[in-house]
Amino acid sequence: MTHLAILPILLPAIVAALLALAGRRDLVLARTISLASAAVLLLVAIALVVGASDGMIRTYALGDWPAPFGIVLVVDRLAALMLTLTAGLALAVLLHCANGWDARGRHFHALFQFQLMGLNGAFLTGDFFNLFVFFEILLIASYGLMVHGGGAERVRAGLQYVVVNLVGSTLFLFAVGLLYGVTGTLNMADLALKVPAVPPADHGVLRSGALLLLFVFALKAALVPLHLWLPGTYANAPAPVAALFAVLTKVGAYAIVRLSTLAFGDAAGELAWLVTPWLMPAAMLTLTLGMFGVLAARRLAGMISFAVVGSVGTLLIAVALFTPQAIAAALYYLVQSTLAAGALFLVVDLVGERRPALGDLLAPGPRIAQAALLGSLFLVAAIAMTGLPPLAGFVGKLLILDATRDAFNRSWIWSLLLTTSLLAIVGFARAGSVLFWKGGESAQNAAVQPARAAVLPLIAIGLLLAANIAWTLGAGQVLGYLDAAAIQLFAPAGYIDAVLGAEGGNE
Amino acid sequence: MELLVASAIGVLTASGVYLVLRGRSFPVVLGLALLSYAVNLFLFASGRLAVDLPPVIRAAGSYTDPLPQALVLTAIVISFGMTAVTVAMAVRSFLESGDDGVGAAGAADEEDAGRR
Amino acid sequence: MALALIVILPFAGALLPALFARLGRGASALAAFGVSALALGLLLSLAPQVFGGEVVHAGRPWLPRLGLNAHLFLDGLGFLFALLILVIGLLVIVYARFHLPARDPGGRFHALLLLFQGAMLGIVLSDNVLLLLVFWELTSLASFLLIGYWRHLPESRQGARMALTVTAGGGLALIAGMLILGDIAGSYDLTVILQRGDAIRASPQYLPALLLILGGCFTKSAQFPFHFWLPHAMAAPTPVSAYLHSATMVKAGVFLLARLWPVLSGTDAWFYLVATTGLVTMLVGAVVALFRDELKALLAYSTVSHLGLVTMLFGFGTPLAAVAGVFHILNHAIFKAALFMNAGIVDHEVGSRDLRHLGGLAALMPLTATIGAVAAASMAGVPLLNGFLSKEMMLDAAAQAQWAGQGWVVPLVATLAAMFSVAYSLRYAAQAFFVRRHEAYRKKVRDPALGLWLPPMLLVALVVLIGVFPGTFAGPLVTTAAKAVVGAPVRSYDLALWHGVTPALALSVFAFAGGGILLWRYADARRLWLAAPQPQAKPAFDAAVAAVTEFCRAVTDGLHDGSLRHYLGWIIAGALVVGVGGFLGGGHEAGTRATLAAPPVAIVAWLLLVACCAGVLAFERRRMLALVMLGVVGLIVAFGFLYLSAPDLALTQIAVEVVTVILMLLALTVLPHETPRGTRRLRRLGDAALAAVAGLGAGAAAFALMTRDFDSLSSYYLERSLPDGGGANVVNVILVDFRGFDTFGEIIVLGIAALAVFALVDGARGLTRTGVAPGMLAADLHPLLLAVVARVMLPLALVVAAYVFFRGHNAPGGGFVAGLIVAIALIMQHVAGGTGWAVRRMHVDAPVLIGAGVLLAATTGLAAWVFARPFLTSTYGHFALPLVGAVEVASATAFDAGVFLAVVGAVMLMLASLARVGRGRAKRAAAPAVPPTAARRAED
Repeated sequence: MTHLAILPILLPAIVAALLALAGRRDLVLARTISLASAAVLLLVAIALVVGASDGMIRTYALGDWPAPFGIVLVVDRLAALMLTLTAGLALAVLLHCANGWDARGRHFHALFQFQLMGLNGAFLTGDFFNLFVFFEILLIASYGLMVHGGGAERVRAGLQYVVVNLVGSTLFLFAVGLLYGVTGTLNMADLALKVPAVPPADHGVLRSGALLLLFVFALKAALVPLHLWLPGTYANAPAPVAALFAVLTKVGAYAIVRLSTLAFGDAAGELAWLVTPWLMPAAMLTLTLGMFGVLAARRLAGMISFAVVGSVGTLLIAVALFTPQAIAAALYYLVQSTLAAGALFLVVDLVGERRPALGDLLAPGPRIAQAALLGSLFLVAAIAMTGLPPLAGFVGKLLILDATRDAFNRSWIWSLLLTTSLLAIVGFARAGSVLFWKGGESAQNAAVQPARAAVLPLIAIGLLLAANIAWTLGAGQVLGYLDAAAIQLFAPAGYIDAVLGAEGGNE
Repeated sequence: MELLVASAIGVLTASGVYLVLRGRSFPVVLGLALLSYAVNLFLFASGRLAVDLPPVIRAAGSYTDPLPQALVLTAIVISFGMTAVTVAMAVRSFLESGDDGVGAAGAADEEDAGRR
Repeated sequence: MALALIVILPFAGALLPALFARLGRGASALAAFGVSALALGLLLSLAPQVFGGEVVHAGRPWLPRLGLNAHLFLDGLGFLFALLILVIGLLVIVYARFHLPARDPGGRFHALLLLFQGAMLGIVLSDNVLLLLVFWELTSLASFLLIGYWRHLPESRQGARMALTVTAGGGLALIAGMLILGDIAGSYDLTVILQRGDAIRASPQYLPALLLILGGCFTKSAQFPFHFWLPHAMAAPTPVSAYLHSATMVKAGVFLLARLWPVLSGTDAWFYLVATTGLVTMLVGAVVALFRDELKALLAYSTVSHLGLVTMLFGFGTPLAAVAGVFHILNHAIFKAALFMNAGIVDHEVGSRDLRHLGGLAALMPLTATIGAVAAASMAGVPLLNGFLSKEMMLDAAAQAQWAGQGWVVPLVATLAAMFSVAYSLRYAAQAFFVRRHEAYRKKVRDPALGLWLPPMLLVALVVLIGVFPGTFAGPLVTTAAKAVVGAPVRSYDLALWHGVTPALALSVFAFAGGGILLWRYADARRLWLAAPQPQAKPAFDAAVAAVTEFCRAVTDGLHDGSLRHYLGWIIAGALVVGVGGFLGGGHEAGTRATLAAPPVAIVAWLLLVACCAGVLAFERRRMLALVMLGVVGLIVAFGFLYLSAPDLALTQIAVEVVTVILMLLALTVLPHETPRGTRRLRRLGDAALAAVAGLGAGAAAFALMTRDFDSLSSYYLERSLPDGGGANVVNVILVDFRGFDTFGEIIVLGIAALAVFALVDGARGLTRTGVAPGMLAADLHPLLLAVVARVMLPLALVVAAYVFFRGHNAPGGGFVAGLIVAIALIMQHVAGGTGWAVRRMHVDAPVLIGAGVLLAATTGLAAWVFARPFLTSTYGHFALPLVGAVEVASATAFDAGVFLAVVGAVMLMLASLARVGRGRAKRAAAPAVPPTAARRAED
């Protein structure tokens, strides 16, 4: 049997523990171990993608207890994809931070690895209480990272972030209680089997349980009106950490897709797609408010945070249609927007430290060092984020527009997607011209030199943008995989058999 | 009995929510603690209630549902960890800003959490 | 292949100038020139096929599922445009080399120019409308970057953003339009779409598609009322204006009109929308142009006017008009590019572009004057020049056009416009070159270097050649292009110099006469014009943008006011709405499960609990008291667990309770002990209401669950626990075995929590607050008695812990509780003896404990791999232990030991860290207060 499936959880866990033990004194050592672990994670994830692309769903029964009694990990196309995205983003962010940034607080690398463990676990687990545990892991690690470096406003924002998520966790447990109390199971595949059998007398309780759970996922995904925590958090978090957080919202989106397609799909009869009526309007509102925020922003970090909110709205609009085509489009957009947001936050970090007086404030200041280089990086990332051609953002938007072709509210969705794009374009153009064009050549000599050479950060940003470009050029092949992933999601029987079918389900 | 437990959960939840909505860190921490009691009880109750049937295997006899108990145990521990972090953050925030309000500067919590 | 290369080359080549820039602007210009020349060569190599009436195809699929394919095709129309783009591109590159300031290496400039060139070629060669969209928006971006080329000039930045907003905005409309078009045609490939004209015109979606597509075309081609961005784009370097904003990019809109002409034209909607817009634009542009003194502004408005002319011609929808349109695109590109370069020369040599300060240049710079004069004459439509021919054809078409059944509307307006264009053209030439200027120029003015005057001179040569021998020099090109548009072959007769005495000729005579008069009475005309209201586009545009921004700010700031209370309010209220809404959405029946009787003791406990909750709320301001009550609540809950057959929970709850309370006590050594009053009564009521509803919801849900029967997984655990798990305490077996993975995660959460707490507090070193009411300080915390007790208790506690740990697998207890007990015992040392004392005596390092614990748990799990079993697979055996008796020691026990270590480490680290802050504050409270800022500086 192969243990590949659990490595994405186990490796960072052990590495983090080692770092907590040994890495505290020697930063270089910690850095090296951390980077190596991230690199290995990326390889493992790619291996899982390759494995999953044959359409077989692989499971890993922990403690060798058969599902649904034990906890089981499940690797299908979607999970493998999310793992790869996370690992890639993490590697880039670590590269960026390895530039001395990680020295600003204690236990940065340990927390970072634990964060990865939590993310990967959330993508892999097939048990919704275990999902709760991994949510807590990734959250508590993110708390630590969020306040890395400290500062009054940041800690205050961190406190808000923590409290909001604790309330979210409480709701999560209420939902778990309701679902368990009605279906008597914690295993998602088993839930999918039990749900259709639930007597109508219990439908009310079951529905409110399921919706509460999806509500919590929506809170993680920052769906309006549950998005209020996000801008403050991301904008006040250290920019590189915010870059990693770009994937946090996607966990929520992932969980919504997973649970809805698996347990509340067509098979669920009366309860089929019970989230749609809530999700679609909320997603459209999310897109709107997000792009409003982009135009309204006064700081670069804030602007990108709102762009993240907007991108969540965009992809959840596609998700809310719950057709294979739309889900595939959503996944394509999800990956590219995460890469773009990550790159942008890393740029924010570089810009910020080149403007000691102003930071990332959207106000003209003295010309910054490497303005041309940073400017062009920002331009490329912004093109991807705002969905302008030729990058993946545009392709993704086209895919989503195309997927909504037959939606009852097509004209609404289309005009919304396009007008909000214009808002984003205006916002980003203004930000770019203020930061990189104003304070012209005249002040060139007075350009503030950065504290650190920016080689590694530039490589990191370059990698993310390169990934985005590859995602664009390879769109054909990529979409082949994504379509298959979506179809896999819409045939939950395969998932259920893989988990509950064979004893233990191990190959 | 069920009614007592249910109403207890309700009271705990209500008090917790009310405290969480106060503008200062310490009441919020208290509120979160109450909420965690409430939700632990709730999770526990989702296994239904039973008296004198602890799930410890004996020669004979029936047992209450052990699974929710295990879940609650995990939940208790996790919420303890969370409380610790929240408390530490509250302390740090207070030390950083000299004020234990939880609203951002200039937020509507202001008047709830008047600056020193 | 060659076809694909034509598009790819400029993109790939865009790097070269940037690289060569190091060698000076000559090198970068040369690189750019080479690339364009190569592309041009490839294009010409395809000429025979194109003139042979063949359509060249190339490309490969990109995103077939979406219908987005990298398909290119080259027909007459594409060839004409590609030729324009490349030839004029080459001339502009040469021109720019000498026009840009000497200190500018030109690398960025030429790179951007090539990028634009590639995008533009992409537009005219795309055989896929989605691909066309990609290039379309790319040209908008390129023009944004080129207009903003002189980034330090505010007008460049603003002009760039305005252009981007308008053109990219139009592009977005175009996206929707193209999608609909493809939807109707069933394909995004142009070759297919062009076959489906009838189906498309018949479709109910035709009108929305048309409107959206026209939105794209009109913004790009600066049609009224979207024309305002073009004059502001003149902030760009003059070569850019010559290339993008007269010859090529602004032609993209009319190109698309021509491209889709066979599909979209021929309907009333098309005629009235397109022809009317063109007509109005033609007139407005011409009129405004006459009263502009700044050369580039004048040319910009004239460009607007001529684009309107072309638009109108396509709008007529007749083949002849379409041919005229194609022909005029060519002619206008030639003479307008020449004129812009001419204006650039004047600017470059004289240092001014203002007609009011120019004059008499003919004597000083004859070559330049010749260029300007001939090109302007062509723009006016003087016979024997190319402008004349297409203008004749335009007037001819106009003369035949019926507007709302009226035959006179179009000819009249068209002639008026022609009149004005005659006037401003003559004014341009006369004012700049021939009218005598009174005072002499400050600097010596002479003709520029060859590099600056040769490119426009070549264009002017074309002006004349086409003007005299249209059939020879433009015939084949235009006819093949027109054939691609109209579909039917076009008689080259249409391109003759002399059509005999036609109405068109008459109209054009009128135009000249009128133009002459206008110029003769220019002073009066200008007075009239200045008297007329002058709507200013830029302020209006800026105001609009500002208004939208303000609106967004209002909404955003209103929602994100940074108030945690509001955020939580939304979340809790939302959860209630969703939960209740979901509940009402499904069926429900009251449960039938038999309920347990409530003994008095339970009722008492319940009352106590409610009382304490009330107490916490009531004494919320007096934090110590509230904390004590909270502790009591916790104890009652624990009691409840015990009574309801959950001993493990009870144990854990109590242990955790103690630690939590200590934790909060420590927090209170720093935080103020009193919450000052200040909340509005109304707000409190609101919160109370929300809280009440939440309570009701939770209670009701719990009751609904407890009163209905269900079957769960548990039977399995009860059966397998002893035989397979080797433990009688099912809860513990679940924790360390069946669901050990949860526990693994749980200790990690605890570990992270500890690290986070440590990091937080560690970062707070040196931070302090003045004026905090000194409350219970660590100093007051260790009376002697407590200290003694604590030290005696330590070993005792350790024994108890060991006992609890080992029996855990079979009876209530286990690693977690044991860990807590030890941690508490150790912490008592802190509390009693003071941190210093404890630290001196404790040689264990908490983080090490955490790491070791996690690692132990992990390795136990990994051990299973040796036996080819999944992570955490357990095994167990028996042996006897003194005092405790026979014990199954399962591998799970080792796992549990890991839990134990991690818990001890974590809890100690947390409490110790917090205790340190408390003591730190205690010390400083004695020492003179340090201002926070100073403290923070000390920290760094």
